[in-house]
Amino acid sequence: MAKKKKKTEPAPEAKVGVYVCHCGGNISDAVEVDQVCQHARRVPGVVVARDNMFLCSDPCQEMIIEDLKSGLVDRVVVASCSPSLHEATFRRALARAGANPYVYEHANLREQVSWVHHGAAATEKASRLVAAAAAKARLLRPLESIRVEVQRQAVVIGGGVAGLKAALELGERGLAVVLVEKSPFLGGQVAQLQRLAPFGETAAEVISELTGAVLKHPAITVHTCAEVEDFAGYIGNFKIKVVRQSPAGAVYADRLARLSRSGRGLGEYVPFVGVMPAAIPEGREEFDLEAGAIVLATGFRPYQPRAGEYGYRDFPEVVTLPELIRQLAAAEGAGDTLVLNGRLIRQAALIHCVGSRQIPGVHAENEGGYLNEYCSRTCCSATLYAANQIREQYPKTRIFDFYRDIRTYGRGQEELYTEAARNGTLFFRFEAGEEPQVSRNPHRTSNPLLVKVRDVLTFGEELEVPVDLVVLAVGQEPNDIAHLVENLKIPVGADRFLQEVHPKLRPVEVSVAGILLAGTCQAPFDVGETCAAAGAAAVKAAAILTRGYVELDPFVAEVDLSRCVGTGACVEACLAEGALALVNLEVEGQMVRRAQVNPALCLGCGACVAVCPENAINVQGWTLKQYEAMVDMIVSDEYLEERAEG
Amino acid sequence: MALVNPNFAAELEAFGVDTALECFNCGTCAAICPLLYEHFPRKLIRYVQVGAEKKIMENAQDLWRCLHCGLCTRTCPRQANPGELILGLRRYVVARWRRP
Repeated sequence: MAKKKKKTEPAPEAKVGVYVCHCGGNISDAVEVDQVCQHARRVPGVVVARDNMFLCSDPCQEMIIEDLKSGLVDRVVVASCSPSLHEATFRRALARAGANPYVYEHANLREQVSWVHHGAAATEKASRLVAAAAAKARLLRPLESIRVEVQRQAVVIGGGVAGLKAALELGERGLAVVLVEKSPFLGGQVAQLQRLAPFGETAAEVISELTGAVLKHPAITVHTCAEVEDFAGYIGNFKIKVVRQSPAGAVYADRLARLSRSGRGLGEYVPFVGVMPAAIPEGREEFDLEAGAIVLATGFRPYQPRAGEYGYRDFPEVVTLPELIRQLAAAEGAGDTLVLNGRLIRQAALIHCVGSRQIPGVHAENEGGYLNEYCSRTCCSATLYAANQIREQYPKTRIFDFYRDIRTYGRGQEELYTEAARNGTLFFRFEAGEEPQVSRNPHRTSNPLLVKVRDVLTFGEELEVPVDLVVLAVGQEPNDIAHLVENLKIPVGADRFLQEVHPKLRPVEVSVAGILLAGTCQAPFDVGETCAAAGAAAVKAAAILTRGYVELDPFVAEVDLSRCVGTGACVEACLAEGALALVNLEVEGQMVRRAQVNPALCLGCGACVAVCPENAINVQGWTLKQYEAMVDMIVSDEYLEERAEG
Repeated sequence: MALVNPNFAAELEAFGVDTALECFNCGTCAAICPLLYEHFPRKLIRYVQVGAEKKIMENAQDLWRCLHCGLCTRTCPRQANPGELILGLRRYVVARWRRP
């Protein structure tokens, strides 16, 4: 046994339990888990070290709870995956055992060890991390979480299907909601469509139903032409500065013209416009909103092909799918051949995966220097839906469908493919990097364009298809919300969509507590999926608001009044406005200036700890003493039986 | 390089071939065919779909390899009737033979 250190005074009762997870082989394939346990048993304060295949499983959580209840341990170290995944899980287990959830320390043996190291070195590093965690755990004190009152109002940013649905769900729960929409219109991208794949409901009925209910709901306030300019606060107490003004430039000129042509008024649905609930403001108006929770529903925009991509902009006969949908709605004549803008469309080519599934090194980067490597998921079905619509209405218009893969993945969607195959839609398959080439038609047929493809279905032979129209099935891209991302400090994934905490277990939450994701700001979704996500976000927000208070982690600065002499260095170093201040206090009968922490505003960053010349301020749960104990263990070899070979 | 002719499938109807567009190129017929010859019979069916007349004439001799066992027709998941398609294509080829 290693001899006990003298310089720190751990609570005499500190009994540390160490639990090492195999993560089903994720960890144990690279780390000798039983050896890590053996080493851990030699760390001062450790009374038990156990390993298991999946510590996050219910039986294993029960095992830890039993050890706590029986009095065997009173400090817990779990060595498993990243704490961002399961720290909360195990803290809750401690709470269920009746223990303080903060006498817990997490060692990351997966992301920091087994996924990046191999062999004996991996096991040694794992042992050192576990020993450090155990040494820290020994010095942990029970902490109380910080309770903060909640503003019983939610702010929803974005007035498309997701924002409308989330606002409505919150309103229906009797909660005050403010919906902030940048454009003058409600309805978002769905209002730019006609019928929705796969079942054919109209965008008009979906949007009208939602806007009708939202606009007449007493609990919901809608601000259009409004943008979030500034943001502050934390879960339960967000403060949002909103600016409402006439949109700059002529971004919405086309839609405003459509609206005035339609002769419809405020609150009425207009195809390819949406619903304009209020007139465009003349001046500039600023106001502050308070919110206990924020739902982000900032949506997507259709991929805009570069000039020349598949002949886009080079040839007027090349359009995107949303453009085709608009043209189809205005298609004149009732003959058996489609007529668009006065042109007979006898043969039309549809090209899938435009702006989606781009491969580094194969496809050219987009304007911003990025590639959309993801599948946009909705375009296959939307494309086939349009193909079927044309084949059914205009049987003399032939459809040629060029795909890389067809991913009609959901209920009722594969049927669209079957239907297209039955109605004579002719399919061609191309390989990535061998996308169809669109050019002027040099042959003597009257079709203006020629699509050239090396067709996998025809055994890799080159085929040429003369056509009158090329439709590009463009994917979904996240809207440009850099300003919002910067302000809210929320994570963005490699695909530039907003990133959830956990794709399966916490799909609508982001790492900033109290901010929730609804719809296509997160990933390409169809309307049904968007509503499901919006409903989930609304319920999560409602749970925060109706509880009335939130508990924040107590990892905030704490002043040791026995040491503080009021230098004020900490106040100067503090990054969060209002978190630290010098106040007059009576200490031993004398009025003195001392530092004081506002726990609700403290970020727990530790800047104050670093600058205090008296070592009089510490971050709870991360004190300097605890760090020292961790460092001592990392550099110590005492608990390692023998230096691992290799 | 072949120019796609979507009207070709309709022209073939006179020879009793009207199921070519039912085919969705799964390849079951080629897999089950006892001839195990390249992509026979799917290859010829695909040529009908895209209207590659020249290719059909170039590969016409393949049509006479068929044993009429009927396995392709029995297993086709789309009822595209590959066996009958081969017979229809023979009639088409015979009618076109040595015609300028």
